[in-house]
Amino acid sequence: MSGASAPAAGIDELEYRPHTISRLLGYMIGGPKRAKFAFAVALRVVALLGLIAIPFIMGSGMNVITDGGDKSDLNPWGIAGLIAGGIYLFFSLLSDRMFSRMASQGLYELNIDLFSNLQSLSMGFFFSNPPGELSSNVTNDAEVVSLFYTNAVSQIIRAFVQIFMILIVMFVMNWQLTVVALMTVPLLLGAVYLVARIASPAFAKLQDVLGDVSAFQEETLSGHKVIISKERHDWAMDAHVTEITEAHRVGSRAFLASLMQFPATQMLSLMQNVLVLLAGTFMVINGRTDVGTVMAFSSYSALLSSPLAQIANLVTTTLNASAGGERVLRIIDERPEVGDAVDAVEYEFKGGRIQFEHVDFGYVPGSLVLRDNTFDVAPGESIGICGPTGAGKSTLINILTRYYEIDSGRILIDGQDLGTLTQESLRKQIGVVLQEAFLFTDTVMNNLRYAREGATEEDAIAAARKANAHEFIMALPDGYETMLTERGANLSQGQRQMITIARAMVAEPKMMILDEATSNVDTRTEQLIQDGMRALMDDKTSFSIAHRLATIRGSSRIMVLNGGAIEEMASHDELMAERGFYYALYMSQFKGKGPDGDADAGSSRSFVST
Amino acid sequence: MPTDFLRIFALVKDYRWRFIVSQFAMAIAAMATVFFATLISALVDDGMVAGDQDAALSIGLQMILLALLMGAAMAIAASQAVFFSQGAAFLIRRRLYDRLQGYSFENFDHRPTSQLMVRLNADAVNIQNAVMYAIMLGSFAPFILLTTLVLAIINTPQLVWVLVIVIVLVVAIMALFVPAISRSYDERQERLDDMGNTLQENLSGISVVKAFVREKLEIEKFTRNAAAIRAPDFQAAWRVAFMAPLLTGLGQLAIIIGMWTGGRNVLGGGDMTVGDVSTFTQYLSLTVAPLALVALVLPLVLRGDVSARRIFDAYEAEPTVVDRDGVEPVESDALAGRIRFENVSFAFRRADGTFDPPALRNIDLTIEPGQRVGFLGATGAGKSALVNLIPRFYDVTEGRITIDGVDVRDIPLAQLRKIVGIALQEAVLFKSPLRPNLKFGAPDVEDSVMFEASRAADSYGFIDNLPEKWNAPVARRGYNFSGGQRQRLSITRALTTKPTVLILDDSTSALDASTEGRVQAAIPGFVDGATTIYVAQRISAVIDLDHIYLLQDGEILAEGTHEQLMASSGLYREIYESQLGGGVIAGIDMEGASS
Repeated sequence: MSGASAPAAGIDELEYRPHTISRLLGYMIGGPKRAKFAFAVALRVVALLGLIAIPFIMGSGMNVITDGGDKSDLNPWGIAGLIAGGIYLFFSLLSDRMFSRMASQGLYELNIDLFSNLQSLSMGFFFSNPPGELSSNVTNDAEVVSLFYTNAVSQIIRAFVQIFMILIVMFVMNWQLTVVALMTVPLLLGAVYLVARIASPAFAKLQDVLGDVSAFQEETLSGHKVIISKERHDWAMDAHVTEITEAHRVGSRAFLASLMQFPATQMLSLMQNVLVLLAGTFMVINGRTDVGTVMAFSSYSALLSSPLAQIANLVTTTLNASAGGERVLRIIDERPEVGDAVDAVEYEFKGGRIQFEHVDFGYVPGSLVLRDNTFDVAPGESIGICGPTGAGKSTLINILTRYYEIDSGRILIDGQDLGTLTQESLRKQIGVVLQEAFLFTDTVMNNLRYAREGATEEDAIAAARKANAHEFIMALPDGYETMLTERGANLSQGQRQMITIARAMVAEPKMMILDEATSNVDTRTEQLIQDGMRALMDDKTSFSIAHRLATIRGSSRIMVLNGGAIEEMASHDELMAERGFYYALYMSQFKGKGPDGDADAGSSRSFVST
Repeated sequence: MPTDFLRIFALVKDYRWRFIVSQFAMAIAAMATVFFATLISALVDDGMVAGDQDAALSIGLQMILLALLMGAAMAIAASQAVFFSQGAAFLIRRRLYDRLQGYSFENFDHRPTSQLMVRLNADAVNIQNAVMYAIMLGSFAPFILLTTLVLAIINTPQLVWVLVIVIVLVVAIMALFVPAISRSYDERQERLDDMGNTLQENLSGISVVKAFVREKLEIEKFTRNAAAIRAPDFQAAWRVAFMAPLLTGLGQLAIIIGMWTGGRNVLGGGDMTVGDVSTFTQYLSLTVAPLALVALVLPLVLRGDVSARRIFDAYEAEPTVVDRDGVEPVESDALAGRIRFENVSFAFRRADGTFDPPALRNIDLTIEPGQRVGFLGATGAGKSALVNLIPRFYDVTEGRITIDGVDVRDIPLAQLRKIVGIALQEAVLFKSPLRPNLKFGAPDVEDSVMFEASRAADSYGFIDNLPEKWNAPVARRGYNFSGGQRQRLSITRALTTKPTVLILDDSTSALDASTEGRVQAAIPGFVDGATTIYVAQRISAVIDLDHIYLLQDGEILAEGTHEQLMASSGLYREIYESQLGGGVIAGIDMEGASS
């Protein structure tokens, strides 16, 4: 049945990577685990001694029967056979359990290394590797490696030890018959190789095709509203049939090739049996051997063909593991883009003055998202940031929290260069409330306490009160102990936002960054959120990104970004009086129904539209 | 009984010949295998022991022929099993997917996409594998067992009891062992899913993790998950690994038992020959492998049965919005686009048939042809529910909706949805070039219409800047375009059909106010007299429309123009205040606005 297991690697990835394999093996049997490994192999050898004894015992018993004798003469052989079988089963069990334990432990350690290193990486890595894709890739690759650990390693050892030991016994018993028994081996290996050769790439192709099929299904089913609203069911059904016809074609080829291994190996092992028996018969007739030996030989040759047939599959598993394992190891080897300097120092809070000096930044070389940003924020000032989509608002926040390293210029925070500070000490002082209200699948209480190591329940409740969240949390079925479902789906958008505000308060940051939620909530909730945000900002230095200008009207100063550059920076009243960029942006909301009916929409044309 | 699994066979009866041929071939393969085994003892008795080379050669030849026959028969059976099972998977996917295309919004509400995807993929694959192995091996084993038993009764009746005991023992061991494998696999899978969820959540919330510097806590969480996998992983792994030695060991023990009991019969002066003993030995070893195979296939079949039940469940769901019997197309050209809601109430139906609290209550309104109206309200106020009733995405629970006096339920769905064009809140595009995406609602329309629509929706500029312009590739769901671009493309798509009634369901939410204003200003010129309905949460999206309805909790709280509402509705003023905050700061004269 293992012949039909689908390899996960692509065609071009099926290459041998000795270095990857040896590193993967290191997790399972390397270093201090070597002794354990040797012991497990020894158990395996004992088990196989039991197995190999059986055909010999069987043959001896048959000789007793052929020669005639007393019934009781047979008993020692019968008992010996049962004991040998028992030894084989018992020691196989011990050895399999040892190997499996090592496999689970190896996988565990690999997973931990993988995850720990992921946590150390910078945001840039996560922006370029979307979470859904990354986690499913990592999970799939780890599964392939797990298959290698649990199946391949112990079976390869079993197969080779079994073949080696049986060959020795056979040669010692009768070398002529051994040669006959080995005659079909090249055919067997050839057949298995041929099957693997055809099936492996076919399965790799099938994985791709099935990926396309499910992507199409997912796209059209989740987009069902569009299809229904435009009545394009025929299009969807036709396109779907095309997709699955290809899957049918490739799938038939892959499974056909892999299932052919079964009749081929079965047939060849029968052939081998016939050859051994025929040759044996002639030798018995010529008096060169006895019936028992021939019967034993026929059993040995059967015990030889099954591990041989297995090896090809094991090789495929190993190659897949080297492909999947390489991707896993690549993540383990990945180093953070933004690292702390060797002589990085702890950030020391001195009020929260922030200075940007000619800061340039781009996500990819040669394309600047922020250009020559220079500004100075005094301790306690609240700065509202606005501008069209793509103006660089979020980017400004990303470099202030040092998720990315700036290309040129300098950022000073209380006079200390951002690049010389440890990221941890910096982020502990800067609170962030993000647009997407992300909550963990956990209780409300644990979500709140998440913000700071050592935060007590009292801290959490106090923060919730300040953020106007206490009331509705108490109204939840289990109050603070209510489990939040995936992504906080059992709360309204507004409630989630309030919890994230409370969470930020628990962290007791010295500075704040707020990214206003675009989602709309009823006016009462909106008011509560605004109040919460104001309570959070307090007298701290704060930056808030606004999508609706009303929310930043009261800021000490408003920074207007356009195309990565600071267009204007002053208070609302000053900016309105200036009748510049901000004024146009502000007035465009009213479509001529605002305070100044004649607002000139023409100036809005200069916005950098994305 | 796996009844649902058997129903699958009925579903794919097109392939019945493949099934029949495979079973026939399997029977031949099974018999060839058994006869091969009996010939071994003939070879021993008539050739080896009797010293007859010619007899040995002729028996050997027969054995080779049997081996070839067995191989060929098995190859035929295997190929038929593959074609049958692949065909079954194909048909299941096709029929189920086609069925899903008949689903209404409500059916989709009750069955999330992720669930349907499992039906179409994992469940279909489970059935495919169950069918394939059931055909290949499941029937091989009974054939062999039956043939062996019959032959044993004929040739070695004295020792049939040993055979029966061995069969019972093997069945008992497998019955304990194989379910244990399934259990530990299931548990492993659960733990693995837990770990996957932790990983996925960690990656999705990585910015939160970093912001609060809680990497250590996350590693602890993950370590707990990873550690929880070890036990079931180990349990599953050793059981699977031990399977092969177990089968080999049982087979070898059966051979010893056959030799011992058979030999005692011969030596004790029984009526068996040496050849009979080796025959009997072969019988015993022959039964072990197929029994073990059944034990392996059975869990697959049981899993396939569960999958089959789930597939039938999705397959048998009835679409809730369908054409009434005998509806006739209405005269499209005569339609002006006057929409009336007559005492309409609506409640979402739950999966169990009961109703949610009403989403809309006693809505009475008339929208005149060519009018531009807006529905304003917070999330959950019932705006989307209201406009979804017009193209019959859902049907009203009470009352009726008419277009130019005709009940929407008396218009064929295909025609109704041409009359009513809608740009949805979530701007989904499909993976194909831009042109077919934009002409999705009207594949045969001229390019010039699409260009005009695109200009009106303010998408012409950025499309024209793309290297491949109108043939530019669109990624799945349109993710290679920004949110604002997707919305403008979605509006273009809705406009291209030149509908009589155009609905924009919060479809400008990602645009900044000035772009939104441009689009809204350009649409009337393009649709030329069509009734246009805007749904919005932002007041700036509806501020200059002909008529604004303010919705709250499923009821129309106030209506009128912006100026009228500023004067009449406290809530409207509150929203205005909170969103635009003109009032005090910008110096609006609130009293004067009523004039």
